[in-house]
Amino acid sequence: MRFNPAALRPFRTGAVVTLGLFAAGVALRPLEAPAWESIRAGQPALRLESLKDALGQGVTVGLLGGFRAIVADLFWIRTNTIWEDNDLPGTQTSIKLVTAIDPRPHYFWLNGSRMIAYDMPNWRIDKAGGYDAVPEAVKRRFDEEQSAVAIRYLENALEYHPEDPILVLEIANVHLNRLKDHETAAALYLKASQHPEAPFYAARIHAELLRKLGRNAEAYAFLKKLHPTLPTEDLGAQADVVLGRIRELEEELHVPAAERFQPRPAASPAAVAP
Amino acid sequence: MSVASVPFSFSRLSLIAGNTFLEAVRQKLFNFLLLLAVGLVASAQFFREFNFGSSELKFIADFGFGALIFFGSALTIATTAQLFFSEIENRTALTLLAKPLWRAEFVFGKFLGVFAVIGVFCALTIGLMMALLWHREGQLMEMRPEDFANGRLIAYGDLLVVGVLQWLKFGVLTAIVLLIASFSNTNLFTVVTGFFVLVICHLQYLARDAWGNVDNPLVGLVVRALGFIFPNFQLFNLADQVGQGAGVSPVVALQVAGYAVAYIAVIGGLAVYSFRNREI
Repeated sequence: MRFNPAALRPFRTGAVVTLGLFAAGVALRPLEAPAWESIRAGQPALRLESLKDALGQGVTVGLLGGFRAIVADLFWIRTNTIWEDNDLPGTQTSIKLVTAIDPRPHYFWLNGSRMIAYDMPNWRIDKAGGYDAVPEAVKRRFDEEQSAVAIRYLENALEYHPEDPILVLEIANVHLNRLKDHETAAALYLKASQHPEAPFYAARIHAELLRKLGRNAEAYAFLKKLHPTLPTEDLGAQADVVLGRIRELEEELHVPAAERFQPRPAASPAAVAP
Repeated sequence: MSVASVPFSFSRLSLIAGNTFLEAVRQKLFNFLLLLAVGLVASAQFFREFNFGSSELKFIADFGFGALIFFGSALTIATTAQLFFSEIENRTALTLLAKPLWRAEFVFGKFLGVFAVIGVFCALTIGLMMALLWHREGQLMEMRPEDFANGRLIAYGDLLVVGVLQWLKFGVLTAIVLLIASFSNTNLFTVVTGFFVLVICHLQYLARDAWGNVDNPLVGLVVRALGFIFPNFQLFNLADQVGQGAGVSPVVALQVAGYAVAYIAVIGGLAVYSFRNREI
């Protein structure tokens, strides 16, 4: 039997095409790499760990097609339907899937974490027999377990939105409202308040928690430093409320009249009143 | 007269491109997908009720780009395969290639014809999306002037840049489908393989991420090689940057455009090589 070189032609063509593509990939990598780094830095969703939760859920085509936002919105609606049924594993999985698809909006992270930390302990108590039947220690354990899940979830959110004060505040809220851990909550409210875009109330809550922890002198020093930074024209800053608390602390700490805090002249007239 | 005796001709190439373009715009598929995409973009405002996460304008932009990318990809793959195989199945390719016509002129003529059709599709979709955003932004500016103290929020120039980059991505996809068609025997095989390659090109960056975690060095090498063989289509995913931070960097846009043009030339060249080795 004679060897026919033409029979090898498809293989040769395939090999040349594959090698050509490989060579092009190698040659173009220096052009691609800087652009890819820049695009990726702006889009944390483009990560293996982000997408692997979403793949295989029938959403791949949606993601590839560019419908990231709408696919996440539709899954959020589905999450709420599952949430209405008090289905704990289903809701938890669905919440994580939504943020895996689109980790950009804060809305999903915040509301998802609230479902986990605030609603799910109640579902577990109901399932275990109701509020009257379940011992306090068990209720506390449910709170701690769900809070831990919510905090981990929010810490994951911080990987996509580093140092975001709203997310740090949400973690602080879980420590304060669910775990009753004032110490950690105070530290987190302080951390959030130091961000330039933090809402004014973060600093106020930090000071109030210091008072609850009995650290009045620390709270007084903090509020005295805070007050001059508050814009009097912004109602959200509540400069008069802060001044009122400074006065309360001066009373409690027996600060002599001569050493009392003097607000800057530009402060509103209401703020000056003790 | 043999092909070797005539020089490469841009006029023959443009004749094939023009004919391909006319054939494509007369197709029902083009009109159908164009209508669907335009309808979807135009209806973006009615989907606002489903929007929870992003701002309204960002949602409309995301939705518009979603329609562009989804229907654009479908149109590119289906049209390229259909137009290529209609020449083979109708035997017009035999008549054409029996004349002094380079196979490179035939392949690149097909490419340019489809590329022009996709260009029309992109221009219409992006144009409509921009008009819609402009209109809605104007309404919002009247309703909430305090949110627009520094003027309009949407960077329309960036939208245009992203639209052009998507068009170039479809150009790379067209070249890939032509490469597949150059050795494939059926339209269906080309379309299905084209869609698989589209998915691979969109997800190849994940393979590149994963290769470092693979224990088996041989498998790691294969995964890494795959990252080089397929172009990275996520590179064109600049729509997320629109309206965020510094927006689309001109340097990055130029790098991505250069990447696309280089890939079109290389894959187009490989399609010509493969087509030259094909018996028609």
